Amino acid sequence: MSWSWDHFMRFLFSDYMLHGVWTTIWLSIVAMVLGCSLGVVVAFMKMSKTWILRQIANAYIWVWRGTPLLVQMVIIYTVLPKVGIRLGVVESAIVALSLHEAAYFAEIVRSGVLSVNRGQKDASRALGMTWAQRMRYVIIPQATRVIIPPLGNQFNLMIKTTSLASVISMEELFRRTQQLAQLEFKVLEAYMCAACWYLLMTTVWGLIQKQLEAHYDKPFGPVSDSSEKKSDPVLSGQAAQV
Amino acid sequence: MTRMEADVVPAAPAKPRELGPPIVEICNVEKRFGSNHVLRDVSLTVRRGEVVVIAGRSGSGKSTLLRCIDHLETIEGGTIHACGELMGYRQDSMGKKTELSDRRVARQRRNMGMVFQSFNLFPHLNVLRNITISPVKIMGEDPARAEAHARELLERVGLPDKAEAYPSQLSGGQQQRVAIARALAMRPQVMLFDEPTSALDPEMISEVLDVMIDLSRQGMTMIVVTHEMGFARAAADRVLMMADGVIVEDAPPEEFFTNPQSEHTRLFLSKIL
Repeated sequence: MSWSWDHFMRFLFSDYMLHGVWTTIWLSIVAMVLGCSLGVVVAFMKMSKTWILRQIANAYIWVWRGTPLLVQMVIIYTVLPKVGIRLGVVESAIVALSLHEAAYFAEIVRSGVLSVNRGQKDASRALGMTWAQRMRYVIIPQATRVIIPPLGNQFNLMIKTTSLASVISMEELFRRTQQLAQLEFKVLEAYMCAACWYLLMTTVWGLIQKQLEAHYDKPFGPVSDSSEKKSDPVLSGQAAQV
Repeated sequence: MTRMEADVVPAAPAKPRELGPPIVEICNVEKRFGSNHVLRDVSLTVRRGEVVVIAGRSGSGKSTLLRCIDHLETIEGGTIHACGELMGYRQDSMGKKTELSDRRVARQRRNMGMVFQSFNLFPHLNVLRNITISPVKIMGEDPARAEAHARELLERVGLPDKAEAYPSQLSGGQQQRVAIARALAMRPQVMLFDEPTSALDPEMISEVLDVMIDLSRQGMTMIVVTHEMGFARAAADRVLMMADGVIVEDAPPEEFFTNPQSEHTRLFLSKIL
């Protein structure tokens, strides 16, 4: 089998392929937005004082992180109709991807919120803030800084993971590639073309992510060394020797 | 601590003060952390305009007592009244206490300002926003008015040019002074200080104490947990000694330093002076 630049270039910018790329992009974004929203809810359930909410959150994370997305997707598409819940291809893909994402994002949000220094909670309570105000003005803005890097990784993963939706015949980039490959018997060119598109998408996202991280890091600035030091002269003396 | 604190601050002025009615009343408070009995039947009354310094070894319960006043800690027994309200609880006719909702407690806390050992400024906000966030977002104050007040407060704590700085760009002493300004921005009736200078380099302690002494001269009611006996001499109306969850000494500064009644106080003074 010989490599054909001609086919490769034609595939790369064909409407058929570009349409698949576009489907992958919007599917990733929709699943990510829905998944993260649900993930925040699950995270706060897991941090709640109410036992039953915590257990529901734990069970949710346990099930969705403990089974393969591929299996979840097939179950949602093929098994749910047998119990009367009939979802189309697109709906099934969105539901499966976002429910799966929520389980991972819940843990990311939780660790982000828990990473905020305890003193911040004390200070905001002492200033007369209610729980909601503390979250909104103090905790979430600081947690966001911690959440952004893993959130970016999750979106990178999501772009690539949407290819699994091809098994339930969702017409995204990977399925279109498969069909193109079979149609023209140019397997290598087609898949290389898909790889290039995925790489381009994740690279662009990587650049966006970098900007986001820099933006949220800005106020924290270079830490002046005097602010963290303890008053104990013996301790700081030791520190200076080390 | 081997240093003489007294040289950091000016000598005590004779201050004839007029004290108002009680503003903080702590009655028979009990607090436990698990099996650790932190506060044992503690009672204390602080009057409006009074400056009370609480000293004691770490673990004596002094910080916990302060946190209980602001209901940052729950209490197991007794009552705390501050600014005319029972802090953190609702009491029925049988005397049984139920904890108030988060919202109600938040409202009560707005009468008091608190300053922490570790400053706890909000690192994602600049100095001005740190000071104005509560007045504007919580109290609904007009932003322009809150900003003018914030700049006035920054002037008072000696940092008029730091309004746009972020906490990470400030020294510890500067951060603590901003934290004091932030607490004052709520126009509190009482200021609580929880070891405000313990995390500071020695050369920065006096700049914070000067602000506190200034505040006391303006008639602010203050409860200060500290080891800075120089501050106690210069500004306190009463100095308290706590040990094992009990107030073992409660005396005006001159008496506290010259004629302590408790063995704990004598031991403490011999170590610190």
